[in-house]
Amino acid sequence: MTAPDGGPGASDGPEFERVDEPRGDRTREWELFVRESTDESLRHAGSVSAPTAEVAREQATTLFGFAAETLWLCPADETVRLVSDGVALGDRAGEDEASGGSDGRVEQ
Amino acid sequence: MISVSKLLCGLDAEGDGLRYDAAEESSKAQIRERKQRRPVVVWNCTKQCNLYCDHCYAAAETEPAPGELSTAEGKRFLDDLAEFGAPVVLFSGGEPLARSDLVELVAHASDAGLRPVLSTNGTLLTEERARELRDAGLQYAGVSVDGLRERNDEFRGQEGAFDRALAGIEASQTAGLKTGLRYTITRHNADDLEAIVDLLADRGVDRFCFYHLDYGGRGADIQDVDLSPEERREAVKRVCEMTRDYHDRGHEIETLLVGNYADAAYLVEYARRELGDEQAERVLGYLRRNGGDPTGERVADVDYQGNVHLTQFWQGYALGNVRDRPFGEIWTDESNPLLRALRERESHLQGRCSACEYRDVCRGASRLRAIAASDDPFAPDPQCYLTDAERGLAEESVGAGTTGTAD
Repeated sequence: MTAPDGGPGASDGPEFERVDEPRGDRTREWELFVRESTDESLRHAGSVSAPTAEVAREQATTLFGFAAETLWLCPADETVRLVSDGVALGDRAGEDEASGGSDGRVEQ
Repeated sequence: MISVSKLLCGLDAEGDGLRYDAAEESSKAQIRERKQRRPVVVWNCTKQCNLYCDHCYAAAETEPAPGELSTAEGKRFLDDLAEFGAPVVLFSGGEPLARSDLVELVAHASDAGLRPVLSTNGTLLTEERARELRDAGLQYAGVSVDGLRERNDEFRGQEGAFDRALAGIEASQTAGLKTGLRYTITRHNADDLEAIVDLLADRGVDRFCFYHLDYGGRGADIQDVDLSPEERREAVKRVCEMTRDYHDRGHEIETLLVGNYADAAYLVEYARRELGDEQAERVLGYLRRNGGDPTGERVADVDYQGNVHLTQFWQGYALGNVRDRPFGEIWTDESNPLLRALRERESHLQGRCSACEYRDVCRGASRLRAIAASDDPFAPDPQCYLTDAERGLAEESVGAGTTGTAD
């Protein structure tokens, strides 16, 4: 396991890579976690676009209020996303190719 | 997507297998079996666009946006879609022709077994690019025009856009691509509806898709120009009459309605009034197989950064991102309570939808408009234009429902 930015990591176990492409450009993205009842674990349930935490809270409540007992919102740009080797799209697309397509597009 | 020409005039078209499970009765090549149960995937492959349209759900910009899927990522994503069994990938934007690798991506989609189709404003569609796209395997080009010259150019933010879109349509036809019109009906352009069909039908266009305004992206900012329920009812009636008139004259145009499944109920009622009970029951049978509003089920959207959305209009919420996890894994993960509820939404619909006779063929229509109006994903769509009698609601049980008159 690698710790690309000093985050969680150890020398054993599978290799992890950071997935750090932007999730929103003009509007901030908020990762959304939902728990439907106290005996369940908190689950990732996608993300909402919102300029502030307050607006994100309103949106999350609108979408998941009917089912959620607990909602967590984390700014996507403050969330470190790590995946095992061979899982991320760019990794599966081939590292050399993914760094620039035939028209020179480069991953952000 | 509801085919008026199929339901009212019996027109056989290539997409009917997907829409009405009607592959067996069609003489056209059809998308069959497993693929009929997978979503059509709209891929907003870029946010960049050369126009700045008032109603753009993707809030496209004239400059490139960061984080676009690269060519290699795009190809791997298309492979994922093919492995999942998605029948169709609709290249949209932004303006997809702003991507210089579009032909390469279309060819990859086609080779992978997907049916690649294109949604474009047409203004960048030259004969050369149309030929390249045809050779790459493109099956269809839908060109957006939103009114006659003056109205379209004002709406699209650029003088000359109308003429360039018509040139794009001609280029597409010259290349031998099946070409159709995409038209979002608002108060700005409802009056032009028949005139634009006449103009393009004369030029050999035979497929016309009429979109209701949904309240996503910049579309949310122009709700004031959306049709009232009464105006919407009239516009849909005009589409029905126009379609029948063309077919009566032997010109078999294909007409479709998109974005408001109250249309499904209206078509049954229209068929009952104009064509009799037998035809109305046939229409109802087709629409039951169609399954109503497709959000979160038969239509999916992936934006330029790989975020997966419940429909192309609903960009403010994402289920996940294809950079982290393959599309099929995200789409089938029903641990998400919203996704799960949308797929069993008939038991969640509230208000007048909960007792509506047509809830199985409409399924509440647009959830995005419901949220815009009521902050509730299961509230009624404010743009339902059915009368209480059509909904089968007894007078005493009617709450805030529309009570407009039938035609």
